[in-house]
Amino acid sequence: MKSAPFDYVLARTVTEATATLAQDRRNAMVIAGGQSLVPMLNLRMALPDLLVDIGRLDELKATSATQEALQLGALVTHADIEDGAVPDPFGGLLRKIAGGISYRTVRHYGTIGGSVALADPAADWPVVLLALGAAARIASPAGSRSQSVDDFIKGQYATSLAPEEIIVGFDIPIPGARMRWGTSKVVRKSGAFASSIAVVVEQGDGDFAAAALGAAGPRPCLLPTTAQGLRSRAPQEDLRAMVADDLTALALDGDPYLTRLHTSTIMRAVREMRQR
Amino acid sequence: MSVEGGGKGWIGASLLRKEDARHLYGHGMFIADVHVSGVQDVAFVRSQMAHARVVQVDKPARHAANVFVLNDIQPVKILEAGPELSAHRHSPYPALADGRVRYVGQTIAACVMPTRAQAEDLADQVHVALEELPAVVDVVAAMRPDSPRVFDEWPNNSYISTSVVEGNPELLGSAAVRVHRRLRLNRQATVSLEGRGVLAYWDHRLDELVVYLSTQGGQVKRLALSRMLGLPEHKVRVIAPDIGGGFGGKNRIMPEDIAVAAIALKVRHPVRWIEDRREHLLASPHARDHTYDLTICAERDGTLLGIEGDIYIDAGAYALWPTGAFQEASMASRNLTGPYRMRHLRLDAHTVATNKAPMGPYRGVARPGATFALERLVDEVARELGREPFDLRRQNAVTAAELPYRTAAGLKLDTGDYIAALDLAREKIDLPAIRRRQVAGEPDGRKIGVGFAFYTEQSGHGTVEFMKRKFRVIPGYESANVRMLPDGNVLIYVGVQNHGQGHETTLAQIAAHELGIDPGQISVRYGDTAIGPYGFGTFASRSIVFAGGAVGKASRALAEKIRRIGAHLLQTDVAAIRIENGMIHGPSGKIGLAEIAFAANARPDQLPTGMDPLLESVATYEPTESGGVFAYGTHAVVVAVDPDSGVTEILDYVVSEDCGTMINPMIVDGQVQGGIAQGIGTALYEEIPYDEQGQPLATTFADYMVPCAPEVPTVRIQHIVTPALTTEYGVKGLGEGGAIAPPAAIANAVADAFRDIGASFNETPLSPRRVSEAVDLARRARGGQR
Amino acid sequence: MKSLTVELNGATVRYEVEPRQTLADFLREQCRLTATHIGCEHGACGACTVVVNGKATRSCLRLAIMCNGQSVETLEGFPNDKIMEVLRRHFHESHALQCGFCTPGMLIMARDILLRLAEPDAQTVRQQLSGQICRCTGYANIVDAIVSAGKALRSQRAALP
Ligand SMILES: Cc1cc2nc3c(=O)[nH]c(=O)nc-3n(C[C@H](O)[C@H](O)[C@H](O)COP(=O)(O)OP(=O)(O)OC[C@H]3O[C@@H](n4cnc5c(N)ncnc54)[C@H](O)[C@@H]3O)c2cc1C
Ligand code: FES
Ligand code: FES
Repeated sequence: MKSAPFDYVLARTVTEATATLAQDRRNAMVIAGGQSLVPMLNLRMALPDLLVDIGRLDELKATSATQEALQLGALVTHADIEDGAVPDPFGGLLRKIAGGISYRTVRHYGTIGGSVALADPAADWPVVLLALGAAARIASPAGSRSQSVDDFIKGQYATSLAPEEIIVGFDIPIPGARMRWGTSKVVRKSGAFASSIAVVVEQGDGDFAAAALGAAGPRPCLLPTTAQGLRSRAPQEDLRAMVADDLTALALDGDPYLTRLHTSTIMRAVREMRQR
Repeated sequence: MSVEGGGKGWIGASLLRKEDARHLYGHGMFIADVHVSGVQDVAFVRSQMAHARVVQVDKPARHAANVFVLNDIQPVKILEAGPELSAHRHSPYPALADGRVRYVGQTIAACVMPTRAQAEDLADQVHVALEELPAVVDVVAAMRPDSPRVFDEWPNNSYISTSVVEGNPELLGSAAVRVHRRLRLNRQATVSLEGRGVLAYWDHRLDELVVYLSTQGGQVKRLALSRMLGLPEHKVRVIAPDIGGGFGGKNRIMPEDIAVAAIALKVRHPVRWIEDRREHLLASPHARDHTYDLTICAERDGTLLGIEGDIYIDAGAYALWPTGAFQEASMASRNLTGPYRMRHLRLDAHTVATNKAPMGPYRGVARPGATFALERLVDEVARELGREPFDLRRQNAVTAAELPYRTAAGLKLDTGDYIAALDLAREKIDLPAIRRRQVAGEPDGRKIGVGFAFYTEQSGHGTVEFMKRKFRVIPGYESANVRMLPDGNVLIYVGVQNHGQGHETTLAQIAAHELGIDPGQISVRYGDTAIGPYGFGTFASRSIVFAGGAVGKASRALAEKIRRIGAHLLQTDVAAIRIENGMIHGPSGKIGLAEIAFAANARPDQLPTGMDPLLESVATYEPTESGGVFAYGTHAVVVAVDPDSGVTEILDYVVSEDCGTMINPMIVDGQVQGGIAQGIGTALYEEIPYDEQGQPLATTFADYMVPCAPEVPTVRIQHIVTPALTTEYGVKGLGEGGAIAPPAAIANAVADAFRDIGASFNETPLSPRRVSEAVDLARRARGGQR
Repeated sequence: MKSLTVELNGATVRYEVEPRQTLADFLREQCRLTATHIGCEHGACGACTVVVNGKATRSCLRLAIMCNGQSVETLEGFPNDKIMEVLRRHFHESHALQCGFCTPGMLIMARDILLRLAEPDAQTVRQQLSGQICRCTGYANIVDAIVSAGKALRSQRAALP
C-alpha cells in the first residue's frame, strides 16, 4: 500500500501555488494537511504527477473576526478550533464539531480548507458551514472569488474548484448573540466518518434558522422545510413531519432505515438546541 | 511484583511480564523490522475477480525477470489440505494462480523490486486477462444442485457434509415447544495489528533456506515448506521473530509464504513480503461465516430436549494446509448443546466452498458460532414460555454434582460448577436492578437490555481427540528443553510461540516453581527451528496446558538430577535433599545451585561416578485425558440501544469464569479482557460483506470497523477456581474463551431490550442498520404501533 | 529524489528521499528506526504515531518531505523524558501490552494526552485513544496505565517545592 511516484514542490506564496497549478502541465494536486490525500495516495486512489504543498503558507492561516463575520484561513486545523486557538463566536459550535472529527492525531493536521475542498459527503465541516451560510474565498492566478459553500459543493467529491484554484479561507456570518445550535452525529465507531450528521442553528428571535444534514446522499444539504419549522417554532411532532418532507425530497433510495436514521439525528440536534 | 520467597510462591503470582521491556523501548523485532542486507520487496498481483479463468499474464518487458508466475517458481508441490477423510474433497491451492482464480485477492504473480513501492509500481504494469466465470457467493444457494461450481470436478460445492445424530431425535418432532430460527455470524478477518509477513534467503554459509515468518508455530510451517519445496528439513530453518498478534490468522501455511520461499531459491538476494492492511482484509484467513438453520425443542416446563437442523460453514475457495476449515462444522455441531442436559440432536453440517477468501481458524474457532446459535435459541425459548432466560439456563445447566458429564455429542465436561458461574454473573450484573431500570425507562428514549451467555472452552485435548478429528498433523503433545548453565541460570526452549500471551513469564514461573529459583534467572526461548525442540505452536488455548506441563516435567527431571548431585556433594541421601531459594539443603549443610550447575557442566570430576554430565532435560507432555479439559464461564452484559439509529452501547460487562489454576492471574485477566474486545468486534462491528459478484466490500479500516477504547468497556472479571484433575498444576487453557460468548451475550441483551415487541436479533454484527431494521420489522408485525 | 533535513531524536540528519515516501517508511526503511510500526497505512490504527514538531502525528499520513526542517521524535528517542518514563512504568505495571505491536504508538499518544490534559479520567482517556487500535489487550489496562501515570505525574509535580 505505497503511493505511486509523483513530484513535489513546497509553495512559498499563494500566488506561487496557483501559478504552479496553472502552469504545470502535469496532473497537479494541492496538499494541505494530507490527512485525506495521503491515505488516497497510499491506496493509489489518487494518482497525481505533482503535489503542491500549501501547508506552510501563513497567508492561509490568517483568522479574524468582526461583528458580522468570522474569517477562517483554509489551513486552520481541526485541533486549532478544538483548542480554541481561533475564535468561536458561535457559542462553542465550531469547537464541538472540531473535537468530534476523527482522532486527535488527524485533527493536528487536517484543515478546514482540505475538508471542504475534498467534499466528502460525510465530512463534518461542510455540514456546519452550510448551516451557517458560509462562503469560501478562492484564489487563482486570475484573482479571487467568493462563493457560498452551498454552491461550491457540487456533489460527491465534486466542487466548483478549477484546477488552478485553491481555497484561501471561509467567511462565516455571525447570526447574533442569541444564537442557539444543536448537533447530532451517528458513527459506526468512534472517530469514523458519520453515518448521519445534522447541525441546526437558530437565532433566538426566530428570524434566522437553518438545518443541514450530511452523509445523506452525494453532498451535504440544507433542509428548507425543517428550517422553516424551526423559525415558526413548530412543536417537535410537527417538526418531525417537516423533516420527513425534506428527507422525501432527498430520495434516499427509498431506504426506510436511512429515513429513520436521519430523522433521529435531526430531531436529536433540534432537541439539543431547544434545551440550550 | 513480589511474592513470598521460595520456589513455591511462583504459581499464582501476578508476576509482571519479562517481555514488556523490549516493547516499551521500541526494541521489539517484528517481521518487518528484521533487516537483512540486499533484501528486495514483493508485491503480489491479485485477482480482481471472484471467479475467472486466467487467460494471460503479460509481464512488462523491462522487468520481466522480476515478475514471477507459477511456472517461474516451480517445482512447488501442493499438499492436500483438510481432514484425512476420503469424503473431504481436495481443493488444490497453488501459491500463484494456475489458470484459475477463485476469489478476489488470490495471488496471480509476484513482483520483486528493491522497495515495496517499486514492486507495487511493477505490479500495476502487469496485465492480467481474466475471463469471468459465475461466482458462488451465498453459502446456502451454493448447496443447490443448479449452483455454479467452485471446482468443476466436484459433484456439488461441499468440501464435506456430515451428520450428527444423537439420542432419539424422532422425539423432537412432537416436542411441545419448537422454536425455529435462522442465525448467522458474518464473515470477518482476524486482524492482528501486525499483518502477516515472510522474509526468505539462502544462507550460503549454513547452506540452508532461512525463512523468517510471522507465524504461531514455526516447526509445522517448516514441515510444510520442506515438503512443498522438496528440500530436506535440515535445509529449511524457520524463524518466528516477535509476532504482533496472531489469533489463528497466522497458523496456516499461505500462498504468499510459499511463493516468497520459492522465489528465494531462484534469486540471489533475500526477498520479503509484508502484508498490508488491504491484503489482510482481502486475503488473510477469514473467519466465522456460520449460518444456522435450527429448531430447538423443549418441554412446556422449560426442559430443553434437543436441536435439529442445518449448519453451513462458508469456508471460501480453498482448504488451507493443514486442516482446512472442517473443524468449524464439526466443533460447531459438537458444541451445540453447550452446558445443557440436552440429549437429542440431529444436525447436518456442510462445509461449503464459495468464491471468497479461504477460511482459517480464529480465536474461539466454531464456538462463537455455536454459542451464539444455542444461547440465542435458549433466550427465544424462554420468551416463548414467558420465562426469565436466566432461569431457563439455570434449570437446564449441568450441575456440579453431575460433572464429569458426557454431552449428547460426546464431549466430556470435566470439572467446575456451572451453576455457580451463572449465579455469580447474575449477582454481579444485578439482574433485578436492571429489570427495575427497564420498567422506569430511560430519559433519552433508548432501551436497556441485559443478556447472558454461557460458554465452555475445550483445551489440552491431545492425540486421540485430534485423531478423531482426522488431523494431518496431530498436535498431541508439546515439548520443552530445560538447560541449566554453569552459573545456575536457566535457558528453556519450547515449541510453542509467544505472541502476546506472556509465555516468557508464565513458563518461567513454572520452571522457577520446580527449580526453586527466581524467574529472573530463567530465559524462555522459542521461534527458531534451528534451536527449539519440535512442537506445534500456540493455538487452541493449548500453550499453558501443554508447554506448561512440558516445562514442569523437564524442570522436575532436572531438579531430580540436581538433588542427586547435591546429595553426592553434601554426602547425604537424595531423599534428604530440598531445593529452595537457589540453595540445595541437606540435613547438615547446604550448597548453592550455582556450584552444582558448575559441577554438572564444567567439573565432571565432582559428579557421582557413572553420572552423565550436563543439566539438560527434554520432556514432552500430554495431559492424561485426551478429551481435554473445559474452562467455562458466564458473560453478562447490559446494553442501551437507540431504536431509530440502531446504535448499541455497552453499559456494563461482567464475566464469571473458571480456568482452573491460574499461573499468573494478571495475564489471565488480560486474556479475558482482550478476548472480549474481539468478541465485541464480532458482535457489533466487524464484517466483510461480499456483493453478488463476489467483490468484498470492506478492504480498508474505513469500512471494516475495529473496536477501539470507547467501544470496549472494562470488563468486571470474577474468578471461580476449580483445578483440573488431568493437567499439571490443574490448569485449563483460557486464551480463546473471552472471544466465544460476546456475540451471544450481546445479541441476547439487545433482544432483551426489545422483548416487549418480540424483535429478534439473529445476525452479527448487530450493526445499527440490522438492529433498527429488526426493531422496525417487529413493530410492523405488531400492527405498526410505535 | 529530494533532500530532506530533519532533527531526528535530537540529532540533525540529512537524507535523500522520494517525495512519495511516507514519514513512517522513511523512519523504518531509511533510518532503520523500527519502533514506529505500520498497522494500516491509511490513518486508522495509530501504530505509526510519532511526534513531529511537538505534535503527535500519524507517520503514515505525512510525507517525509513535508517534515523538512522539522523535528521528529520516535519511541527510540525520549531519553530523559519524565512523562515517557512514568508511562513506561505504568504500562508495565498495569499489563497494558500483550504482543507489543501497538505499544510504541500507544505510548506516544499517551504522552500527547498527558501533555494536553493533566490528570485525565478514564472516560477522557478512552475518547482520546479512539484512534489507536490494540487488538490484544481490550484497552482496559492501557486506559488504567494512562490514568495512573497521569496521577503519578500530578503528585510528582505537587511534591516539587
Ligand atoms: C482515519 C480518518 C478519519 C477521518 N474522519 C473524518 C471525519 O469523521 N470527519 C471529517 O470531516 N473528516 C474526517 N477525516 C478527514 C480529515 O478531516 C481531513 O483532514 C480533511 O478532510 C482534509 O484536510 P487536509 O488538510 O488533511 O486535506 P488534504 O488531505 O491535504 O487534502 C484533501 C483534498 O483537498 C484538497 N485541498 C486541500 N486544501 C485545499 C485548499 N486550501 N484549496 C484547494 N484544495 C485543497 C487536496 O488537493 C485534496 O484533494 C478523517 C481522516 C482520517 C485519516
Ligand atoms: S499505520 Fe498509520 S495510522 Fe495505521
Ligand atoms: S498489545 Fe498487541 S496490539 Fe496492542
